[in-house]
Parts: sequence; structure tokens; C-alpha cells
Amino acid sequence: MTQQELNVPEKQETRGELTRAGRTYVPQVDIFETKEALWLWADMPGIDEESLNVHLDDGVLTIEGQVDVKQYAEMSPLYTEYNVGNYVRRFTLSNDVDSHRIVARMQHGVLSLEIPKAERAKPRRITLTQ
Amino acid sequence: MTRFRMSSGFDPVAGLLNLQRELERVFDKPFGIDLGPSGRGVFPPVNVFADKTGCVVKLEVPGVAPEDVAIEAAGRTLTVSGKREVPQPAEGSFHRRERGAGQFSRSLQLPTDLDLGRAEASYKHGILTVRVPKKEEAKPRQIAVNAA
Repeated sequence: MTQQELNVPEKQETRGELTRAGRTYVPQVDIFETKEALWLWADMPGIDEESLNVHLDDGVLTIEGQVDVKQYAEMSPLYTEYNVGNYVRRFTLSNDVDSHRIVARMQHGVLSLEIPKAERAKPRRITLTQ
Repeated sequence: MTRFRMSSGFDPVAGLLNLQRELERVFDKPFGIDLGPSGRGVFPPVNVFADKTGCVVKLEVPGVAPEDVAIEAAGRTLTVSGKREVPQPAEGSFHRRERGAGQFSRSLQLPTDLDLGRAEASYKHGILTVRVPKKEEAKPRQIAVNAA
């Protein structure tokens, strides 16, 4: 395999008005679908399990993370390339997911969500009767 | 050059606003730090701070396991390299692919009054922090006045 240089787009700010003050960023995501489930991975550096909030409301999945700025106390920036802010992103899911069995994990600043499909939405093989 | 420090014990909203304002103010204005042919849009993005003990370099490396990062110090150059992998499921299909994968390497030249030999690195929630203390002779010290 050839070596691939890793390039990432700059952090993108959330559009629209939010109730919280300050800049909010859109985490970058990968979304993958298998027969059984939808998988979602979101880059949220600096966010731990406690400051993460994932909820599904009326078919809208919201992922939110609140940054902890206490670690920046007593420091003054000399050079900066990225800004620090809370994360938020919303997705509209179809009704064919099993909202009670969603599993969320946070590792190395990446949120991973496993969203199982509802039984009725899974592909079925239909056998022919003679 | 006026700089203000973020004080501890602030309320979180004001703290965040303050920090964001501060970070924005110094965007693209390196002070004695040479980043070579790199800049924004390059992975990983880096922020450099000063504190009482020296210098704090923070890099956003979400999804990079700490064992996949190599940090090297030579002279006044700090190099951080590694690789990031994203899941590659065998069956199924991607609806969105925004997260990149691959090798990365970044070098920064730090001011000469820092002691890279005593640098320490830590990793937490996808953020790599390298603390580089000031050299002993660069630290402020009291000079006693001798009575003649």
C-alpha cells in the first residue's frame, strides 16, 4: 500500500444560532451501514465520556460535547492553528432504527455509535414456495 | 506585547469565550517559532502556549492511539509523527467519509531558551500535550544586592 499523506480540512464552525455562547464546531464523521446496523464515528478531540451528550429525539440524533477549558488556565497562547470549542452535530435517522439498543463509546477523542436496525428494516431473504 | 492570562476559577462560559478570543488573536502569528513548510490544513493542527515553567505544545490527534505516536527532539526541533487508522469494515457501505487516514509528521522549531531534553508528553482524549521546560539559565531569578 502506498503511503498516504494525511490532510484534514480546518475545523468547521456550526451555522445557525445556538443557545450556548461561544464558537461551536462540527465534528467530522464517518457513517457506515451494514445489514445489521448503522455505524458512526465522530472526531471530538478533548471530549471525555462525562462531557459527551448523545440523544435521539423524534428521529433526530444529536451528538454534543462540552470542552473543558480549565486545562488552559495560566497559559497564554504563542501560536495557534486551531480554536477550541464545543462540538455539536445533528442527523436525521429513518424510523427503522432500534433506538433502545444504541451503543456509544468514546476512545482517544473519537465517538463511535452503533445504531442497530429495527427487525423490520433488516434485509430478509424470501424463500419461494413450490 | 500585552498578554493576559486566563485566570483559574472562572465560570465555564466566560472561560470558553475568553480562550476562544485569545486563540483567535494569535492565529497565524508565530513568535519565535518556526514551523517550516506547514501551516493550517495540515494534520495534526498545533497550538503553542507559554506558561510559568516554559512552553506547552498541544496537538489534536483524535483517533490516534498513543502507541502510534513518535515524538523526537533534536536540537531545538520537536518532531511528532505517527499514523491514524480509521475503521475499514469488510462488508457494507459508507454514507459519509470525512475522516482521513494515513501517515503524518510535523516538526516545529522552538525558542532557544527551552530545554527539549527535559520535555514530557502526555495524551488525553485525543489531544497530545508536550511540555517543554525553560532552561535553568533562562528562568527568572532574584539577584541579591550587596551593600557596599
